[in-house]
Amino acid sequence: MRNDEQIRSLFEKVCNDDMQAYNELYLALCNRLLHFSAAIVSSFHLAEEVVSDVFIAIWQKRHQLTHVQNPAVYLYVITKNLSLNTLRQQRRHLHASLELLDISALQIAPDAESGMISSEVSGKIEAAIRSLPARCQLIFRLVKHDQFSYREVAELLNISPKTVDAQLTIAIKKVTETLRFDLSGEVAKSYLHLDS
Amino acid sequence: MDKEKFYNLLAREIANELTSAEAEKLQQLLQEYPDAFYIREVFTRQWKEAAQKELPHNMLEKHQKRLQAASFTVEDEAVPARQVFRLWPRITAVAASIVLIVFAGWKIQHRVPAKPLPLAQKVTLKGTRSQMLLPDGSRVWLNSGSRLEYPKTFAAGQPRIVQLEGEAFFQVATDANRPFRVQTKSFTILVLGTSFNVRAYPGESSAVTSLVEGSVEVQLDKAGKQKVALHPNEKLTVPANLFDIEDEPVSKTDTRKLPATVYKQQLTHVRDSIVSETAWVKNKLAFKHLQLEKVTALLEQWYGAEIGFHNQQKRSLYFTGVFETDRLDDVLAALASTSSFTYIKDASGKIWIE
Repeated sequence: MRNDEQIRSLFEKVCNDDMQAYNELYLALCNRLLHFSAAIVSSFHLAEEVVSDVFIAIWQKRHQLTHVQNPAVYLYVITKNLSLNTLRQQRRHLHASLELLDISALQIAPDAESGMISSEVSGKIEAAIRSLPARCQLIFRLVKHDQFSYREVAELLNISPKTVDAQLTIAIKKVTETLRFDLSGEVAKSYLHLDS
Repeated sequence: MDKEKFYNLLAREIANELTSAEAEKLQQLLQEYPDAFYIREVFTRQWKEAAQKELPHNMLEKHQKRLQAASFTVEDEAVPARQVFRLWPRITAVAASIVLIVFAGWKIQHRVPAKPLPLAQKVTLKGTRSQMLLPDGSRVWLNSGSRLEYPKTFAAGQPRIVQLEGEAFFQVATDANRPFRVQTKSFTILVLGTSFNVRAYPGESSAVTSLVEGSVEVQLDKAGKQKVALHPNEKLTVPANLFDIEDEPVSKTDTRKLPATVYKQQLTHVRDSIVSETAWVKNKLAFKHLQLEKVTALLEQWYGAEIGFHNQQKRSLYFTGVFETDRLDDVLAALASTSSFTYIKDASGKIWIE
């Protein structure tokens, strides 16, 4: 899902006025940024505007961005800031923060079609994840789906890498406990068998 | 089994944070417990989006249209008069940088950028508040009667420096390569990425930094450049006249000790979730156990009114309250309803406490 080298080289080209690379960068990241923004502003339509604004800002400032070390995280940070601004404009005077996330936009689940697990189990896992606190879900998603490192998540959310580690551990524990509940050792083994 | 350990190791594996020793430990646990093996399989596979239904179409095309529409307005700002020799912008830039230097009171402790950056400033009148976005994505709320100066663009690899006179709430965008600094007459605040409030009105006897989240260091510019670290929910008060007293170089042994007049306190929670230091950001006026003369000073600033005292004894009455109204009369009526004072308006509109 994440290709650091590709994003880095695209970003570099964008800084040098390469419109083609700019469009590729947009396509490579818009889906992930869209979900991230939608979790904050609670609407995919608003999120689409936010992501578009993020990329407009990138194009306008492209000559000043050559120092950006981690383009992916940089884009997430701008997306976060613009999303919070949008949220604030939506509800005037509200001091927007990342505390109120719309978790439906954050949902990810194992792919039942891979044949490893049934859609029933996949649904249970999804439910287990949905029951986690929003921030915990966001951290899980950023690591598992967007493949951020602890340090990157920490930077993005203004928390410590230790917190990321702890939150992720909680997410895995919770899901695992759900699985345990549904699967005896035998069933687990048969699934494994099926897989290999 | 060491379940917790397993969960933690698995978390680190997913995030690519495993050390080789941890990887070995994980292997060992996996061999001991077949269940664990299955769980690991589930987590290390690629997952899919569960809420894809709502995804908009033609995002790229739509975006390209918006970009085109936006680029008309931008080119001017993005490329400031490169080839054409325009005199006025240069004069303004030079004048602005002179103002910057004078303003900082010759106390910028880091090297002045070789090329002065064009400055912008935002000023709020009494009775008005505004919020704005800095070029780096940081958000600033400016309280009434305040002025913020900032460069139009923040240079790469250099600290982001802004100057404040008055009160502002900052939500700083994290950028470890370019630390954020707020300079006031009394101190400089060194920031990484965080939310905090600064109150430094020229007419007040002290200046206050209040930290909501993250961490900041307040550098007292004259008292031996001492730095005081703040934790969330703390504020630091620095008297304006500190530096007149302590102007002579502080001796080496003294630098560890704060001048007695500088002090740290907890933020004032007026009610659940309402902190008086930052309530103004949410358009609320909040104070707790505050003398009436200070309350009226707040009201003067907030509503751009003038309030005086006919009866001097009333100055030291204490009030607590949270207000969210555009009308000064509502606030005064509410305060007066405690029957501790009355007020009148004279012909010029000035309010007198009696």
